[in-house]
Amino acid sequence: MKRKMRMALSLMSALAFVFVTACSGSNTDGGKSTATPETTNATNEQPAEPMTIRFATGNNPNWDDMQSDIGKFIKEKTGITIKPEFIIDDGDEMLSLMVATDEYPDLVVPGSATNKMVDAGALLDLRPLIEEHAPNIKKVYGEYYNRLRWSKDDDAIYTLSLTGVDHTYFDSGSGFQLQHQVLEAAGYPEIKTVKDYEAAIKAYLEKNPTTADGQPNIGLSLNGGEWQILISVTNPAFYATGAPDDGEFFINQETYEAIMHYQRPEEREYFRWLNHMNDIGLLDPESFIQKYDQYKAKIASGRVLGLIDQQWDYGQAENALKAEGKFGSTYARFPVTLNETYQDHSFQGTGYLPALGIAITKDAQDPVRLIKFLDYLASDEGQVLLNWGIEGKHYNMVDGKRVIPDELLEQKTNDNNTFVKTTGIGNYNISARYGDGVKDQSGNYYTTTFPEQIQAAYSEEDKKTLKAYGATTYKDLWPSDDSFPERKYGAAWTLPFEATSEANVIKQKADDIMKKRIPEAILAKPEDFDKVYDQFLKDLEDAGVAKMNEEFTKMVKDRVELWSK
Amino acid sequence: MKPLTEMTPEAGSTLKRNRVWFKAFQQRYLYMMSLPFVIWIFIFSYVPVWGWITAFQNYKPKDSLFDQKWVGFQNFIELFQDERFYIVLRNTLAMSTMGLIVGFTIPILFALLLNEMKGQLFKRSVQTISYLPHFVSWVVVAGLVYKMLSTDGGAVNQLLMWLNIIDQPIQFMAKGDLFWGIVTVSDLWKEMGWNSIIFLAAMAGIDPELYEASTVDGAGRFRKMWHITLPGIRTTFMVLFILSIGHLISIGFEKQFLLGNPLVSDYSEVLDLYALKYGIQMGRYSYGTAIGIFNSVVSILLVFIANGIYKRVTKETVI
Repeated sequence: MKRKMRMALSLMSALAFVFVTACSGSNTDGGKSTATPETTNATNEQPAEPMTIRFATGNNPNWDDMQSDIGKFIKEKTGITIKPEFIIDDGDEMLSLMVATDEYPDLVVPGSATNKMVDAGALLDLRPLIEEHAPNIKKVYGEYYNRLRWSKDDDAIYTLSLTGVDHTYFDSGSGFQLQHQVLEAAGYPEIKTVKDYEAAIKAYLEKNPTTADGQPNIGLSLNGGEWQILISVTNPAFYATGAPDDGEFFINQETYEAIMHYQRPEEREYFRWLNHMNDIGLLDPESFIQKYDQYKAKIASGRVLGLIDQQWDYGQAENALKAEGKFGSTYARFPVTLNETYQDHSFQGTGYLPALGIAITKDAQDPVRLIKFLDYLASDEGQVLLNWGIEGKHYNMVDGKRVIPDELLEQKTNDNNTFVKTTGIGNYNISARYGDGVKDQSGNYYTTTFPEQIQAAYSEEDKKTLKAYGATTYKDLWPSDDSFPERKYGAAWTLPFEATSEANVIKQKADDIMKKRIPEAILAKPEDFDKVYDQFLKDLEDAGVAKMNEEFTKMVKDRVELWSK
Repeated sequence: MKPLTEMTPEAGSTLKRNRVWFKAFQQRYLYMMSLPFVIWIFIFSYVPVWGWITAFQNYKPKDSLFDQKWVGFQNFIELFQDERFYIVLRNTLAMSTMGLIVGFTIPILFALLLNEMKGQLFKRSVQTISYLPHFVSWVVVAGLVYKMLSTDGGAVNQLLMWLNIIDQPIQFMAKGDLFWGIVTVSDLWKEMGWNSIIFLAAMAGIDPELYEASTVDGAGRFRKMWHITLPGIRTTFMVLFILSIGHLISIGFEKQFLLGNPLVSDYSEVLDLYALKYGIQMGRYSYGTAIGIFNSVVSILLVFIANGIYKRVTKETVI
């Protein structure tokens, strides 16, 4: 009986083998047949011929599925329909899986996985395509065009940076946030140090333990349960202690020596202050376990008095408050520091920073048409369309100036989610573009963010608060742009480690240690704080951080050399 | 008539072989019917194993499998030298063992009790209600658990406060030592009814005559449960048990990923999550594969050990 089985099995496996080889044969055939239409497409191209492109990008809950006014316009003009595939995980799983399966959409915004994709040979070198087909893109980058270069050894351009060129910050989305009602109740006190900030929250919470509808108020909530722990917990540590954003690192501006920024003694004091906030019950005890949704829900209920976050992170929740008309519970932003000796370095200059960029993959159906599409979006006409919308519909020319009609402006500020979804403004910024403060030939700004527009978009509460502090925008509260010298390496958070390098593994380990130890230190009893923090620093050392710092120092120095050419 | 004993050994084996072929030919339709499934298993379970060779390479997706750099056991050495690996291994085994114990005893107990019920309608509705949570996705369950255990108006904390057992809300989700328990209990809530179905079915298959006979012999309810119902489901139980022992190490990461947070990461991170984070997410496919191989080897060993023990104790075998 056993023997019979064995016989049958060997027979079957022989058959199976034939089947498998047959399969792999047809596979290679499939590969060839997809290659043919690609070439034919490129030769007899017709601009208006409909084409659907797959596009992997960060999640956009306001995506309009090409049904918005701008979406329809683009579809008609270029024949291109964008089918986004949103990357909703917080790591790089989706992009890594793309690399693993070696299958890519046409366009991708690879973000932190860029190095991985370049390593895998997934991205096309855009330099020849731009030289030949995209004069507008080249014009927009101007003198910074060569900053797009991948590395010292590889002069290819893999991604078109999506950050605005020659950007001027007119408003600040960072800093420490306080509800307008808290400020008003305290008579608009000076908010410069963490002590001022703490006092304002404390005073309000003592008088108003609950909101008008009886829910308990929360002093300060941090978005520390997910990846935003970087934004809401650890980045503020260097802002509050007078260092600019260099990712997880602190770069010595003279020697370009890099250390992990937690290793600075100043930051230990910042975390000690958060520990103190927790000790006196002002910090939301759920700060480090709540999910992003819970955090937003809390903000939208109007009971969180203070935040330490970025506007883009809490903005959606704040929009919900605005839509309900609860303007008193929306937030004002301040450059708070640990004490008077520090200045907030949020706006220390970097020159143009190629960061998050869009790339064309090797699987793209028609790279030439794609670069032409992106070139159209980068043209003057395209940029005005993407930023302002369609003339007569979303803006009017009044005395040679573009003006947004009142009811649209109202919707834009108070119900931004609907505004974006119906107009499509802001959904199609997927090509090279100018930043705020750059004017086109007609003397109008390319973007809708300029001083007058920002002030017009402020709510009455914003205006009242700003007036009390003698400012016209929140940015006025920050040190002016020329207070600090420009960083020669741009910003270090744009420098990625090589994907499979040892330093990258150490970085991952260090991040994991940080995510565990920092909350632990903040939630510890004050007398245990130093013990936990010492342990944290020791864990970092054990993980090999010294080696990583050394490697990073080298990378910063290389960048300085490359960019000063 | 020649006696069979006179046959030479060679002739005997030829005859035997012929008989084998004859039998195979006779059953050719049966073989043909099973062939597609064997092929299917071969393609989906054995062909991918080919990819295991990446564990011994420094795999870069750019090049083909044959042009990679060979690194020997370097990935395994790195894996076994990482202390984090032992933490996640401990977490994985702890949570799966807890899940295994609770996930078998309680559903069997539940099925036993349900089996003793008289009213068909009541029995059926309890059964249906109890297995419904199985169809709720973990994302939703995690949301529920978070909400229930929240310090900010969570039901559990409010109940405990109301009963004066505690005077300060407890941060359940921030306590590492509670995490395994929370995972086990929420898993139990979700799967209890579902897991008991198969035992109920096994119980229904027990010959009623056995019960009648034991009634005549004067056995009470609990005697019957102990001597008839439980032995009656023993084979079913053992098959399921040994199969789940095979899954001990690969418990997935859904629950742990969704219920976990940085504060409890020393207790929540499991092997699969570790493979995802330090393998795929960082583009270290070889390292991820090495973890996968470790997983499979340990799983196979566990199944054989469990089966061996069962065989020794009962003289029966599952595999």
